[in-house]
Amino acid sequence: MLCEKCGKNHATTHIKTVVNGVIREYNLCDSCAANSGYATNSLTGMLASMFGDFTKQESLIPQTKCSVCGATFRDIAKSGKVGCGECYNTFYDELLPYLKRVHGSTKHVGKVPCSAPLTVIQKGETIEDLRNELARLVREENYEQAAVVRDKIKEMEAGENE
Amino acid sequence: MSNWYKTAGPKDDIAVSSRIRLARNLKGMPFPSRMTTEQRIELNNRVKEAILGSNTPFAKTLKYIDMRDVPETQKYAMVERHIISPEFANKTEPTAIILSGDESISIMIGEEDHIRIQVILSGLQLNEAYDIAERIDALLYDSLHFAFDSRLGFLTECPTNLGTGLRASVMLHLPALESSGEIENLGSSIGKIGFTVRGMYGEGSKSLASLYQISNQITLGLSEKNALDNLKIITTQLIEKELESRNNLNQLGIEDICYRALGTLQNARILSSKEMMSLLSSVKLGASMGILNIEASPLEILIEAQPFMLCQKYGILEPQDRDIYRANMVREKLK
Repeated sequence: MLCEKCGKNHATTHIKTVVNGVIREYNLCDSCAANSGYATNSLTGMLASMFGDFTKQESLIPQTKCSVCGATFRDIAKSGKVGCGECYNTFYDELLPYLKRVHGSTKHVGKVPCSAPLTVIQKGETIEDLRNELARLVREENYEQAAVVRDKIKEMEAGENE
Repeated sequence: MSNWYKTAGPKDDIAVSSRIRLARNLKGMPFPSRMTTEQRIELNNRVKEAILGSNTPFAKTLKYIDMRDVPETQKYAMVERHIISPEFANKTEPTAIILSGDESISIMIGEEDHIRIQVILSGLQLNEAYDIAERIDALLYDSLHFAFDSRLGFLTECPTNLGTGLRASVMLHLPALESSGEIENLGSSIGKIGFTVRGMYGEGSKSLASLYQISNQITLGLSEKNALDNLKIITTQLIEKELESRNNLNQLGIEDICYRALGTLQNARILSSKEMMSLLSSVKLGASMGILNIEASPLEILIEAQPFMLCQKYGILEPQDRDIYRANMVREKLK
């Protein structure tokens, strides 16, 4: 399909607007879309920019592909969108500084997948809580109790990796 | 039970609604923007089976809707009722939604993440909404494997949702803070502590009718409980500030504004959506300050007189006709 505006290039961007209750749809090429201010979703653009000046040094980075979805880190950095769950594992080191910028942290402290989440939440027992508890028990040299907590952590971690 | 905007809730004179959203993705499947049509259909079926196939009494209250069967007008009316996101309504790929009878629960399938569990309740009911979302989360987890990493938590397409995948938000009616200009300063200080202030219809939307959505921005390194507690603290403070600001308003001046707004709404023959929202905001303020004594709920009118809600009720209407239908409907409700 050709761009509806210039009629020359191939239309790559589908735009749907709802203004005063009227739905309109346009098919534009990259440059006409950019000129009309639709180049990227502003948030995605902002996210992509948070990956830093990545595109300039891309030639230096090996183009590893995610084994599940085939995404490269370049795809992720450009779109601000991660391809699949496995990408987080494949590009863990590359993503870390970005995650730190966005969240100020790189460590999950919330709940873990569980078919009975209410009990976990009610006790406030996340893996992180248990790790802190373990550290405290070790400091107090309460090894017997520490072993129980350690097993609990193992159990929870095993649950996640199922 | 009825829709959130038709039901009374705790502190609903200012806290209009509470919303919880949990983002979840399935293990071993690409995220939505890299999915094929076949994968999307498979996703829809797997989520449908996980919920409706569970045969729990709870699941019997839910209904599966293939979004391809929903006419555009109804999709945008759903956006106006805050059941789905505008982005979801715009999707042309096969997507689906699982909805409860009162529309308080909506599970979007194939939005930015595979699954978006949303619970919306009237008034300030963050914990109540979260408890419901957790039940659905647990039900899904019974038969589906989520993409999860012990270091990074629940994995999401956009890294801004990574970790808990939880977005908790409250919608507040803050006309006094808006008119004094304080809302802008409050917005930037709220931003500094990891929360964001947005307009009524989410991302990039302007505030209409002095309605503001406050939500957590950080999802990694902060537990669900902490995110909810922090949001509650901020909300309570904003409510206090709004009440304080209302007390400082010129009494006669505010009575004048409220009565004029009601007068216009009770008599107008042509009413644009923008004008209606601004006037209903004043009527809501007047009602909650005890200046106006009206039976109808300004919020209910505000939602029901949105452009696509009107089209859903009266059939497709041209914008100018819609303004006439809107005026008639509002007059009738405020008689």
